[in-house]
Amino acid sequence: MATCAVYTTPSLHSCFITSPAKTSLGFHQRQVIFFTSRRLTKRGGGSTPAVSCSAEAKTVVIGLAADSGCGKSTFMRRLTSVFGGAAEPPKGGNPDSNTLISDTTTVICLDDYHSLDRTGRKEKGVTALDPRANDFDLMYEQVKALKDGVAVDKPIYNHVTGLLDPPELIRPPKILVIEGLHPMFDPRVRELLDFSIYLDISNEVKFAWKIQRDMAERGHSLESIKASIEARKPDFDAYIDPQKQHADAVIEVLPTQLIPGDNEGKVLRVRLIMKEGLKHFSPVYLFDEGSTISWIPCGRKLTCSYPGIKFAYAPDTYYNNEVSVLEMDGQFDRLDELIYVESHLSDLSTKFYGEVTQQMLKHSDFPGSNNGTGLFQTIVGLKIRDLYEQIGAERAAAVAEAAKV
Amino acid sequence: MLMAATAASSVRLSTPGAVSTKAQLPRPQRPHARLLPLLGGQRRAVLAASAPSTPPDISDKVSESIKKAEEACSGDAVSGECAAAWDEVEELSAAASHARDKLKANSDPLENYCKDNPESDECRTYDN
Repeated sequence: MATCAVYTTPSLHSCFITSPAKTSLGFHQRQVIFFTSRRLTKRGGGSTPAVSCSAEAKTVVIGLAADSGCGKSTFMRRLTSVFGGAAEPPKGGNPDSNTLISDTTTVICLDDYHSLDRTGRKEKGVTALDPRANDFDLMYEQVKALKDGVAVDKPIYNHVTGLLDPPELIRPPKILVIEGLHPMFDPRVRELLDFSIYLDISNEVKFAWKIQRDMAERGHSLESIKASIEARKPDFDAYIDPQKQHADAVIEVLPTQLIPGDNEGKVLRVRLIMKEGLKHFSPVYLFDEGSTISWIPCGRKLTCSYPGIKFAYAPDTYYNNEVSVLEMDGQFDRLDELIYVESHLSDLSTKFYGEVTQQMLKHSDFPGSNNGTGLFQTIVGLKIRDLYEQIGAERAAAVAEAAKV
Repeated sequence: MLMAATAASSVRLSTPGAVSTKAQLPRPQRPHARLLPLLGGQRRAVLAASAPSTPPDISDKVSESIKKAEEACSGDAVSGECAAAWDEVEELSAAASHARDKLKANSDPLENYCKDNPESDECRTYDN
């Protein structure tokens, strides 16, 4: 049976017929047929409809921006976990594919849209952060196609060889996450995003994280780690960092203020900056929505070990946008601390009491599971699930409404 | 048919014939060893410890890229060539880290095999 989706494009309806035609990659590829409304009526009026249409199939697109080595992969693992089912690389494909696929979600890495490979960038003297090294036209075309329910042959950038490998077939998922350096850089791509997140890692923490990641690597030293961060910084400041003004949620990661002068990057102060007034996203709050709150949960009811935990919540402005900011400084040492904190937060979009804690425990081996990075990534994951469900419900309602007329 | 891990990603090849004949079902007496065919189309397999250390080919690329970056920046530390060279170091360091994560995640060959073949005799679980 053929399945299809019709969208509200004024003059053109697009429908898909699933056909058993095999591509070179061995996947079943959707064939796309475009026809005008006149012909659609004609077809639809036939006694045996070859095409059945549903408006629910449209893909929800999420953008995640961050620099390399700033926790995008961990965030993706938490996000796909909230949706249930493990996200895996495409089966039987290129082992160096950057894509992750689960039942609901497909995560694609925007490095795959590099227009210059490693040699090309070296010759031209541009970094991967530079827009000139990236093909935004193709990125836009393919994200747009996927959002409209059309499969694409996406290039694969091979991070080991630095070459562009033969493309892989990406079929339209329920939720498409585009993660990388530039999801909010091109205005056309930005326009396609239903929700966007920016991971804003302060220089001190970035340095500490890269030391953790690279120090054991042969050839690396404190100097090389520092030199790499500094050499990339001008391009980072010019092309990556400005994207945060467009993000619906920003997770800022800073050194703790609980230990004076601490720069180790072990204890973190993490801020979740959430845009107000979005249709499908209501910011999480602490105690009283819109008030300014400072909260130290450790006291008579809850004992915390050094350096303790401190929360803050307040309305604010961020790049001229009205936002709510939830902040956590310190780290969880015991399970009851996490449950206690969860029970005092509101509008978490959980499906049952303790779901945040359950998700955090499930992935206690992921980096940041005992601090605000894990907590806020999990919360954003739940908010995205909620947003996806709201959009789906609206579409279903619109279809039901249209059927009545 | 059992896993053939590439150094970068440890993805099993499920096509019959594509896997080296040396790859067999995991043997309990060698729990700390795994077969790692080198990247670059070579069929030669090396034995590596299952503690996630960076696959040697990526590791070589990282250290080589650092040397090159130091050279590229010795003349002009603000040139595009210098930034591009250190960017390559970052890219390879991230790739090395991801490769270690994947090795860690796939460090049990039986679990790994059973993800793809849950119905095989080795992978069935029974209640009582």
